[in-house]
Amino acid sequence: MEGRPAEDAALVERAQHGDTEAYGELVRRYQALATRTAYVITGLSTEAEDAAQDGFTKAYFALGRFRTGAPFRPWLLRIVANEAKNRRKAAGRRPTVDLSIAEDRPSGDTALSPEEAALASERRTFVLGALGKLREEDRLVIAYRYFMQLSEAEMAEALGVARGTVKSRLSRAIGRLREITGSEVAADA
Amino acid sequence: MPERLGERDLEQTLSEIGARLDRPARDMWPAVRERIAERGARPWWSGIGFDGRMLAPVAATLAMILVAAFLLTPDLAARAAEVLVLPGAQIFRISTTPTPMPTTGASVLFPGQRVASLSEAGRVAGFSAREPAALGTPDEIYVELAPVRITLVYRSRSDLPVTALPGVGALIVEFKGSLDAPILGKAIGPGTTLEAVPLSSGNAAYWLAGQPHQFFYRDATGNIQPDTLRLAGNTLLWDAAGVTYRLEAQVTRDEAVRIASSFR
Repeated sequence: MEGRPAEDAALVERAQHGDTEAYGELVRRYQALATRTAYVITGLSTEAEDAAQDGFTKAYFALGRFRTGAPFRPWLLRIVANEAKNRRKAAGRRPTVDLSIAEDRPSGDTALSPEEAALASERRTFVLGALGKLREEDRLVIAYRYFMQLSEAEMAEALGVARGTVKSRLSRAIGRLREITGSEVAADA
Repeated sequence: MPERLGERDLEQTLSEIGARLDRPARDMWPAVRERIAERGARPWWSGIGFDGRMLAPVAATLAMILVAAFLLTPDLAARAAEVLVLPGAQIFRISTTPTPMPTTGASVLFPGQRVASLSEAGRVAGFSAREPAALGTPDEIYVELAPVRITLVYRSRSDLPVTALPGVGALIVEFKGSLDAPILGKAIGPGTTLEAVPLSSGNAAYWLAGQPHQFFYRDATGNIQPDTLRLAGNTLLWDAAGVTYRLEAQVTRDEAVRIASSFR
């Protein structure tokens, strides 16, 4: 999922000159990232895939306006996120988003004992539930940082904010997430 | 949740969630490509109202303008490396072989009026018609006036195998032309080969073999018109004394050269 700006730039340029297969390469390269971004907003994987596909389509027709030398990845994610937000609005506002994850997917934590693994799984479900209660913007900034490992500059571009704003936005979002998890722990206790 | 999440635990858990988020199970590109195709136009001309469906006629018009430019601008034609110039005929390469177009005319097979002899053909056409000694007297002769051209028809026989036209063994078309007023342009496609061969007279001839050819000529009103070679096969083009000759027959290159060298 690492960004390869030089290769991206070459593919974008080819796509701008009508090479659709070059654009196909960009789609394959970022389809997982785009789908995750949409999923964090919509909370439904079918809708997320649809939003990602529409985002890729819109981005293709916007290639003429793409600034040469700019990073492609955050530019694309901004379009995809907008697409997902529009879908969510059209579907009617829901107070929370039900996110789910594949718990059976191997993730390199095989060193954990069965008890530790069960505890980690419980933590994930708990945090995921809290994430679903966050505002869309907070969820997105957390996702860009922790789910997609975007750099600060990329986050600024993808969110459409100044670079200096990214840090404060992220810490505010984490603060809200902590509030929700904290109060729920308190309620459990 | 029995324990309070520490700062590091929260970040760790978020990273773990990221690793487990759904990802598309299949290649998304075919679906995206379809959506792009549905929206039709490409980005740069979609903004100015261009539409993919408009491109074919636009391209065809451009092609015709280019052909006309080649035919009407001797300087341009002379500069192009792949253009061969004969009086009244120019040969240039195109990237695809055009679809043959139906020819309309007085006769289903041959346009123009049928005449009884070579001398009559010459009188009607306004220039002397000639025939190849190697083939003898033609079976039928036609004269067209717009543009002026004479067609000699030889029926298929032992030394002239049948061609794409039933019963026809060879066709010879003669027409007058000059570099300043070319009548015919001949386009050859990728499946066709072009070879320069000398005739016994010393004149250069051009051997075209392979797929069907299309050519362009100028009609009576001065407009460029497309037409197809009738036999869609091997063709020899040459000129002598201001007249261009076209021989179409299913014969070898050497046999075609022998026939062309025997004109009297």
